[in-house]
Amino acid sequence: MKRYLRNHDAISETEQSRLAEKHVLVVGCGGLGGMLIECLARIGVGHLRVVDGDLFDETNLNRQLLSSTINLGRPKTLAAQQRVMAVNPLVKVEAFQTLLTEENAVDLLSGCDVAVDALDNIPARLLLQQAAKAANIPLVHAAVAGWIGQVCVIQPGQDLLNMLYPSSTEPHGEEQESGTLSFTAAVTASWQAAETVKLLLGKSGLEGEVLQIDLFSSIMNKVKLI
Amino acid sequence: MITVNTEAYPWHPGMTVRSLLDEKVFTFRHIIVRVNGEYVPEEDYENFAVQDEDDVVVLHLMAGG
Repeated sequence: MKRYLRNHDAISETEQSRLAEKHVLVVGCGGLGGMLIECLARIGVGHLRVVDGDLFDETNLNRQLLSSTINLGRPKTLAAQQRVMAVNPLVKVEAFQTLLTEENAVDLLSGCDVAVDALDNIPARLLLQQAAKAANIPLVHAAVAGWIGQVCVIQPGQDLLNMLYPSSTEPHGEEQESGTLSFTAAVTASWQAAETVKLLLGKSGLEGEVLQIDLFSSIMNKVKLI
Repeated sequence: MITVNTEAYPWHPGMTVRSLLDEKVFTFRHIIVRVNGEYVPEEDYENFAVQDEDDVVVLHLMAGG
């Protein structure tokens, strides 16, 4: 298919067909989620289920790909759906304008091959990890703060987020002081998308480790967690 | 010699988590420290002794999206 010509041979034609059959849950359509959805749609992941309860506001404009001055006050999931339809109408998008809760997690994860954590707070991330474990599917986590970002792949039962958030009495981390920058979200989400695609294609990627990216110091560091 | 985030770093007697963080100029407020896989709470940084050949991991704690 001409649309995917430039995916080859990094992605083979057989792999391209496999991607079209895959279902990915993306929780969070903000700084990470917007870029992530863009990458997954363009590469040809066939089914995206996008979840976010928020509306765009002016503070999102510095980094969130899906936000613009004309959709302030509108649901992030609607923008995600419209963007995917415009970029790649072959991708089926299900949009859920809701927060992830204990009550809806099972339904949201149902039928998905991979869950992706593009959230912005620790309690919701831990809830998603628990739900992915219950659904027995891998979770691709990413988070950002200022110039730094991190990515890890969590197989069911590994509970790596418990190591990244060992005493989660606060819902937020370094981003409270550092803010969140556009290129940090873009780089981190792109790496997260790559790990997601590798999982979908059965290729090896990050395993039991966290990748931390420091764009200010121009350093990437991969640290073993288990 | 100890390992800090996979890189070798010179050890010296009396080294604690706090002194190591100061030496390495880890100044971010939100960090996670593990020594040989064991999580070290911030209130223990002053007194937690780092031993020769320990494996120390210092990670940023971030949750932004």
